Amino acid sequence: MNVLNSEPGTPSPAPRPMQLKTKYMITVQNLTKSYSGITVLNIAELNINKGESFGLVGNNGAGKTTFFRLILDLIRADTGTIISGEIDVKKSNNWKFYTGSYLDQRFLIDFLTPEEYFDFLAGVFGLSKGDQEKFYENFTDFFNDEVLGKKKYIRDFSQGNKQKIGISAALMSKPEVLVLDEPFNGLDPSTQIRLINILNKLKAENEVTMLISSHDLKHVTEVCGRIAILEKGVIIHDLQTSENTLKELEKYFAV
Amino acid sequence: MKRSSIWQKNLGLNILLGFFLLIILLELLMVGLFIDKILEEIKPDDDPVFIFNGIILYYLGIEFFLRFFMQSLPTLNIETYLHLPVKKSSIVHFVAGKSVFMAGNYLSWLVAIPFAFKVIATERDTASAWIWLAGFILLVFTNNFFVTYIKRQLVNNSKIVGIFGLILIGLILFDYFGIISLSSLSATIFGRLLKSHTLLIVPIILIILTYSLNYFFLRSKLYPDEVSHRKKEKMDSLSNIRYLKQLGLTGQLFALDLRMIWRHKRTRSIVYMAPLFLGYGFFFYPNPEYKDKLGFLIFVGIFMTGGMMMNYLNYCFSYESNYFDNILVNYRDFEKYIRSKYLFAVTITTVCFILTIPYVLFSPQILLVNTMTFLYNLGVLSFVLFYFATFSKKRMEMTKGATFNYQGLSAIHWLVMLPSFLLPVIIYAPFGFAGAKTAGLLFIGALGLAGLMFHKSLLNFILRQFNKRKYLMAEGFRE
Repeated sequence: MNVLNSEPGTPSPAPRPMQLKTKYMITVQNLTKSYSGITVLNIAELNINKGESFGLVGNNGAGKTTFFRLILDLIRADTGTIISGEIDVKKSNNWKFYTGSYLDQRFLIDFLTPEEYFDFLAGVFGLSKGDQEKFYENFTDFFNDEVLGKKKYIRDFSQGNKQKIGISAALMSKPEVLVLDEPFNGLDPSTQIRLINILNKLKAENEVTMLISSHDLKHVTEVCGRIAILEKGVIIHDLQTSENTLKELEKYFAV
Repeated sequence: MKRSSIWQKNLGLNILLGFFLLIILLELLMVGLFIDKILEEIKPDDDPVFIFNGIILYYLGIEFFLRFFMQSLPTLNIETYLHLPVKKSSIVHFVAGKSVFMAGNYLSWLVAIPFAFKVIATERDTASAWIWLAGFILLVFTNNFFVTYIKRQLVNNSKIVGIFGLILIGLILFDYFGIISLSSLSATIFGRLLKSHTLLIVPIILIILTYSLNYFFLRSKLYPDEVSHRKKEKMDSLSNIRYLKQLGLTGQLFALDLRMIWRHKRTRSIVYMAPLFLGYGFFFYPNPEYKDKLGFLIFVGIFMTGGMMMNYLNYCFSYESNYFDNILVNYRDFEKYIRSKYLFAVTITTVCFILTIPYVLFSPQILLVNTMTFLYNLGVLSFVLFYFATFSKKRMEMTKGATFNYQGLSAIHWLVMLPSFLLPVIIYAPFGFAGAKTAGLLFIGALGLAGLMFHKSLLNFILRQFNKRKYLMAEGFRE
């Protein structure tokens, strides 16, 4: 299956953190965020290696989305810093050159057709026509003839197809950091498997650092080499994935 | 996360609207209570019942139009109820009958009831008064169901509005040239009703008919999948705006804004209002009374060349509230983003200005005023609006029309509106009093030029403001 090409495309003028002084891609320190007096996130220290696939699991309200929004500088932390590569995300926009993300439908410009949306992003990311062709080619399987050439706006697509559009858009610029919030939600079983394959291939060939949250414990163990359990804003377990991880996770979440 | 109730946030606005409503109600009540005196005053020799009957059809016609534009269509998310053990016909009756509770149905009662019992009961007899009132009220509700039906039709078929407009224009013309007289028709119809009470059956049949129209129409659209087939959106020609692409990122952001405006009902209905903004001058320029009131002409000029820009810039971030997170995550260069928004506003204003040039036929002075206000809009008003736009923090519902739609507006949007139009008039005022009219005009234009000259630093200032406010905006938009 031709999922993502591994050879580098046309050189982009964007600054990329190829040569890192540290081995960490994401460094989190003293991060707290509270809403009306209630602390929703409190991470004293967290380091994610370059090329690591970091899974985040936790029940609703555990703070997963809040954490991802902080990494993407969508909300302001009360205290602490997040360093992406060597960039403090709230001080500079340069992390955007190598970060792809899809959290929810607010990431879609839903009055465009998928083609218009991809065209638009290609313009924003500075991708060439060839890059874009390559992108369509790579995602043919993933789209499964349900996305392109439909002559309708994204807002008229089904939930699952919207999800496909959002995830593929996040991968469009061949990011080195990928942030996905519950990417398996709403996807049909075949597409879920295709997504797992895409993510695993990215991990193996491109050394992409991934941050993925999921409610599906099985999927997250299939993709992520490291899994953290978030409870009420605190990371209470941080595991390297092994054969027993799924069992451990299931035990933890059992009621 | 905090949840906000719309009533709390818009308290001020609601008090204001409530106040206006109270005044209108009181006025109607006054008209009702003194209806006999009023009619006597207008035409002392004629039969007051005859006069009043003559205007009923006109009233219903006007009411139809007011309702058409102001009354919202009662809707119900039928899918939520289809799976419940409720009879389908009850659901449809509920939706079809819901419009009965609209306030518009009851306003005219304030006049009709006193008229029936003060005038008809004394001029004719009490039974006639009851019959007349019943007939009138039935017709008001018939009107209500008719409007709802037409509006429902419109959702699927936009041609009907044109047909309807033509019929109405035809009727008005016929009335004007005396071919058919609506007033005598109206007087005859209600005069007959007063004579033979059994004719009350006609409005009863009419109301049943209009209600059934609604009922069967809704009944036929009960299954959501069948409706969506017909409603499938047509693609617009904006899908191929190639030339804008060649302008780089700015061109792309332009194209995005164009599509955003054209593909949402709310913004599109503002575009449809453009002739209203641009035609504003026709109300004032032909009237010689305003010819020398330069302060007033300045206001008109600001409004005509800046009205559309204001509708864009004041809400430019709110319009994007549904995908604001996308913007924050993907745009690497907010400077270009801010600049393209400003350029878009400049384009809108320039187009508006060009379209107002023909007003020069009224007097050359108008062109001078409009040119100066155009410059002022570009260099001053635009930056003021843009600055305050960063204070918006309510998600905007884009799928509903713009008339009387206050959803998604923050207090700041209201606060900034009035001063922005009045400020240039105030600036001009001292010049006007001193008799240096032209100097005052040129000064306003010069202010605009100064703003244009410093546009880089002003845009930088707005960019800094945007960077400061973006978190708060994004948080509000997510709610």
